[in-house]
Order: sequence, then structure tokens, then C-alpha cells
Amino acid sequence: MSERMLLLGNDAMAHGLVENGCSVVASYPGTPASEILSGVAQWQARYQLPMHVEWAVNEKVALEIAYAASQAGLRAATAMKQVGLNVASDPLMSAAYLGVKGGFLVISADDPGPHSSQTEQDSRLTAMAAKVPVLDPDSPEHARRLTGLGLELSEAFEVPVMLRPTTRVCHANQDILPGAVHPAVRRADFVKDPQRWAATPVHRYRLHLALEEKLRKIAAWEPTAPQLLNPGSGGRRAVIAAGVAAAHAREIMQDLGLWEVLPLWQVVQPYPLHTAFIEQVLAAYDELLVLEETVGVIEMQLADRGRVRGKRSGFVPEVGELLPETVARLIADFAAVPGELSVTAPAGGGRRPTLCPGCPHRASFYAIKRAAPRGIYPSDIGCYTLGLNLGGVDTVLCMGAAVSQAAGFYHAYRLSGELPDIVATVGDSTFFHAGIPPLIDAVVQDARFVLVILDNSTTAMTGNQPTPASGCGAGGVPTAAVDMEALVAACGVKFCRVGQPGDLPAFIALMKEAVAFARTDGVAVVIARQPCVVDRSYRGARPTPRAVTVSDACNGCRYCIEQFECPALVYDEQRQRVVIDTLTCSDCGVCTAVCPRLAIEEIP
Amino acid sequence: MTTTTVTNILLVGVGGQGTLLAAEVMSEALMAAGYDVKKSEIHGMSQRGGSVVSHVRFGQVVHSPIICEGDADIIFGFELLEAYRCLSFLKPNGTVIANDLRIPPPSVLLGKEPYPGGLAERIKASGAELILVDGLKLATEAGNPKAANTVLLGALSQRLDIDERYWQAALEKMVPAKALAVNQKAFQFGRAI
Repeated sequence: MSERMLLLGNDAMAHGLVENGCSVVASYPGTPASEILSGVAQWQARYQLPMHVEWAVNEKVALEIAYAASQAGLRAATAMKQVGLNVASDPLMSAAYLGVKGGFLVISADDPGPHSSQTEQDSRLTAMAAKVPVLDPDSPEHARRLTGLGLELSEAFEVPVMLRPTTRVCHANQDILPGAVHPAVRRADFVKDPQRWAATPVHRYRLHLALEEKLRKIAAWEPTAPQLLNPGSGGRRAVIAAGVAAAHAREIMQDLGLWEVLPLWQVVQPYPLHTAFIEQVLAAYDELLVLEETVGVIEMQLADRGRVRGKRSGFVPEVGELLPETVARLIADFAAVPGELSVTAPAGGGRRPTLCPGCPHRASFYAIKRAAPRGIYPSDIGCYTLGLNLGGVDTVLCMGAAVSQAAGFYHAYRLSGELPDIVATVGDSTFFHAGIPPLIDAVVQDARFVLVILDNSTTAMTGNQPTPASGCGAGGVPTAAVDMEALVAACGVKFCRVGQPGDLPAFIALMKEAVAFARTDGVAVVIARQPCVVDRSYRGARPTPRAVTVSDACNGCRYCIEQFECPALVYDEQRQRVVIDTLTCSDCGVCTAVCPRLAIEEIP
Repeated sequence: MTTTTVTNILLVGVGGQGTLLAAEVMSEALMAAGYDVKKSEIHGMSQRGGSVVSHVRFGQVVHSPIICEGDADIIFGFELLEAYRCLSFLKPNGTVIANDLRIPPPSVLLGKEPYPGGLAERIKASGAELILVDGLKLATEAGNPKAANTVLLGALSQRLDIDERYWQAALEKMVPAKALAVNQKAFQFGRAI
């Protein structure tokens, strides 16, 4: 490979993993980390590498699979988004104590903003809690190089290493000259050592002491030491930056004419912060500006915080992304030079994301509201969160919580003798990820609610990755498939029926049956099964296309736009009625069953 | 801030319009022409009918992946309201190349407010140069209304200092074979504007 390529940050990290001989990579999709594993699968196929690459059922399983490979001496990695790291934090904390054999990289992608996440949490803080070193790349190319450095660091100290890119690294593209790829030559060789790998608490104490000793040495490891980007600059003030904020600062300081006079240090390893660096900057400078996302991890390790302008002092925002205009203002203020004021954004009719035209979820939410109009609707993480627009989503907490929250609402209301209809929605991938234990719990505790599993045969929100029921894995390789109905039945559910939401009248009837069952008999599960409209990898049958038109019976009441909210239903101001936007319409025909005046008709 | 060595193009549109693909074609052409290129966008929620923004920056050396407010040389809009919404990113006297297309946001569809009027006049009043392109009409003439983005890319290509062959090569690389001829035609229609 000697050609420059325009690579997505995630693809660049994926290339870094194969360049550096990772043999096992496992992940669960989550924005902005999703393309890392699909990238690995793609490079694996291109270079024909002997690797195990998998979409795991969740992040905890992904981390544990990759970790075992590392225990057996292979280089391994796992990738996830920051909230996925919460799911995987249990094995991470323990793996930090036990340590690794083969280099082990945990890539956790953060989402300052947030753009596509429930929280703006900082994975570097989790690394600190777990006591593992963390690297903070500023660009796709930097992230690619840090995969190699991270694996080297991991092997040098037998410790898991976290690589923490942010959205602006994962989803930035850069022209990159990737490194050469050599197939890994190691063979799995697990050396039994129960006092380490199955350590009891007394041994854990010793392992904890050993981990602290490793961290002291890592805080002096030269290859990850902070770098002065503008040697020759002097003065009693300096800027310390990490991640994308360092990339912004580099350009902004040149634009503000500060490059020669204000030292700019880039921290590559925010934790553990290099001990000598801490001593050096506190000795050399009177004032420090620290720019990092999103928590003050570097800042809190600088002993003399009185000299630090950062998040603790309120100088740097603690919430939201550090955009270049913000960085420009902060640096200008810090250096006491005039900076340009940013222009105020003009107003205008806002847009919100919406379910795709023809999305089966839209029909499901419409049916749920018809079957339980005054219900409580717990929902979950996925495209179907957009059921908010249809009034079919009341709560979104975290992966799998729709099921436990439905049970929790039931138990809470039961105490006062009330029995509201509760209809929870969860996607197929999310159900496999975290929905099964709460379903078992609901059956055992005799909760009463309907769980609708929105089964579109894919993990749609993150770009159509397979699910455990798909029968294929990363890169399209065939796998075994799990039978969802059998799984639901095995949890003890007595009502489990499959319906096709696109057949709206029949699906509404099924939903009404399920709601009636749940009122008296326990948990009812409806599997709403219809393929995702944008999943190009789907090979099964699709519903027959039904092109529609709006007849003169339309009186412009906008019921369809308000209640069904399909982007292809457009209100024509001139004609004072609804028309079909044929460029957008997917010909699903479901809206024919929505119009109260039957004005939406199938074109024969 | 004003970065003299880097050119900044902000692409904006509505989810589903192909904004991200256009940004990719542009970045491929710029890379082939020898520039250091960085492109940044938000995936996920925004793909589904929300506002989509892609930042493309190129020059000799580019560090930051995103454009600072007030620093875009060109706003390249696939929908008029989206182009207007991003005006705060434009440099004083910068250029707006916009598709003459209005996609009503939900508030308009629901009858809560009208689609904002006089957007072209408001863009011009800000001091920007406005190039309004009827992408849909020209793309339909080229053979497919879905090639409107390529018409706009053609219009943009006339205003960037890179050889046309890099654009052609990028189109050949990124556009599926069966749609290539129509897109090449659409690109030429755009260049003629």
C-alpha cells in the first residue's frame, strides 16, 4: 500500500490495527465508532489476513473476547462508543489489574456536542477510574499512528491501553499514506497462571500495587510524552491542548500571530500525565491554559491549579464541543490579544431528523398509538427514538432500558391500584444487546406490559450492521443465527406473535390483542418484522411496492402529516391539500390506511 | 480568524439530498490535485431528514477538521433555507452557491409557520455574492432529477483553481457506472453557469 487515500478517521484506525498485527477485533456498533470494525473487516478481506473480526452482541462481550485473545498472547482490540464503554466497564476495570500479554487496545469514541449520543461523558475519565493509560488523537492520521503506539505501550507494560478519539476524529476524512501490512505471525499460547488470571482478592491487592508501579513508569515513557509544537516560543504563559482542540489551536495561534510568542504543548497521553511534564510546566510558566474535551482530565493532574485556566476555573466551557471559534476566543482572551467576535447565527425554520419514508417503525408507532392511545411508551436507543415525532416515545434512557422501565412503571402504578397500558419499543439489535435480562425479570416479577420488538433485521441507526438473527457477520461472512421467537418464549413469555407493520389494519388488530392480553395475563411480546428500507445488504423478500396518489377527497386537514409524519406527505399551499412528493415516496402504501377520508389511494 | 493558506467550503443540505457524497467527490478531486484535505461531518441522526453539514478544508497544510464561524470562503447549499441558516460561517464578502430549491421543514408542513421568504435577498444583503442554480431543472434536462448535486458541483468547479480532469476522475471514481453519463452531462451544465 503506497497510495495516498482519503480515509475516514475510523477507517484510518482500522488500518492501523491491521498494520500493527491485531489478530482479533470485536465491536458493537455505536456512533461515532461504528465504521472502525467494518473498516477492519474490509482491510482484512483486502489483504487476506487470518483474523477473527466480529460484531459482538454487546460491548461487554466484545471487550471480553478481544481480551481473552490478548491473554493468549495475540494482539487484539475492541471498539465502541463512550456509552458502550459503560457496558464494558466491568471487564475493563478488572483487566486493568490482571494486565495483558498481547497488546490490547480499547478504542472508545467520545461525542462532545453531543451529536449522536445520550451523554458527553469523557472516556478518559473512565480510563482514569480503571487506571489504564489513554491516548488522545488530534486527527485521523494521528489516530492511525496511535493505534501502533498504543499496542506497543500495552505490551511494554502489560496493561490495557485506551485510545480515545472524538467525533471530529472518527468522522473526519484526511488524505493518508497508510503503512505496510504484514500478516500476524503469533500463535495463541495461553500460559496458565491462576494466581494472576483468576486472582482472588488477596492477589488483587498485589496486582493493584503492581498496576500503580506500571502507571508511575508509564508517566515517564518517552514515546507518549507531551510535545512542544512551537519550539523557540518563549514567555511565562503556555497553552496545553489535547485531541482536536490541539489541531484547532495550532491554526488559530498562527492566525492570531501568537505562534512565536506563546508556547503550545500537545498532550498525547492525558492519563497518566507525564510526571516530568507536570514539574516542568509548573516551573516554567506562571499561567497555563488547558484545552481538552470534555472533562478537565489533564487539568486535574496539574498540581497547582491556581495557575491553571481551564474548566475548574470556569474559563473553558465544561459543556459542549470546543469549536474553533470557541478555542479562538479562549486563546485570544488568555494571551490578551484582540480576537474576532463570532457572528450570531441567523434564525430560520428548524429541521429535525425523522424516520425514512417507508420505514416500518412509522407504521408500528401509529399502530401502538391506536391500540393504546393513553398508554405510557418507554423506548430505547436506535432509529426508533425518532418515534418521538409521532408521540410514540415517552422515555429513552440507555440500551435495553425500555424493557426494565416498562416493568418499573407497571410496579409503580400497581402500588396505587392503577393499570395504565404500557407499550415499550426496542429494536432487534438492542433487544439482543441488553433486552433479554430485563425481559426475564419482567416475566418472573409478573409485570404487565406489551413489548414491541421492532425487528427490521439490522442495526439500522449506525449503518446497517448485522444482528445475531441475521445469519451473517462482519464483512458479510455467514454465521449461525438466533431464533428470536424461540428466545422470547424461552424467557417465559406466554404471548409472542409476529406481525408485519406495513399491513397496517392487521397490525393494529394484533396490537389491540396484545394490549388486552397484557392487562390481565402478563408480558405480551409483538415482533414487528419488516426489513429496513435503506438496508442494501438485505436479501430477503420485501413488501410489494404500492404507489399512491391523493384524490380530491383530501380536505387539507393535515391529519396524515401530524399523525403519520412521513416526509413524502407534503402540504401544497396553493391547492390547500396534501400531495405526494414522488421523489421522496418509497411506495410503501401504508398511508392509504391512515387518511380518515380515504383520500390517499393506491394507483392501480 | 482568517486563514490565508487554507480554503474553506461549507456544504449544507437536508438529509437524503446527497450532501455527503458531494463532499466526498469534492475531496477526492482536491486530493488528486495535490492538496492536503480534511473533511468533517456528523453521521447518525442527521442523515434522516435533519440538517446536514460537511466541512471541507484544503491547502498546503490543514490541521483542524472544521471551519471556524466567519471563515468559510464558499457556502455550498443544496437547499436555500439551509444555505441561509449557515450564513454566519461565511467570510465577509464570501460566495454562496445555492440550489434554488425549497424543502419545507416540519413546522411549515404542519402549518405553524410559512417557509421563510426573501432568502436570496437576505443572503445578498449580508454582502455575500450569491450564485443561484436551478439544479433540479438542469439535472432533469441532463437526464435525471437526482443529479442536481452534480450540476451544483459543476458550478462550484468553475470557482476553484483545480484542473477539470481531477473533477472528471473523481466523478468516475465515485458515481456508479450506469449513472455516470448523466452525471457528466449534469456537471457540464453546471460549469456553463
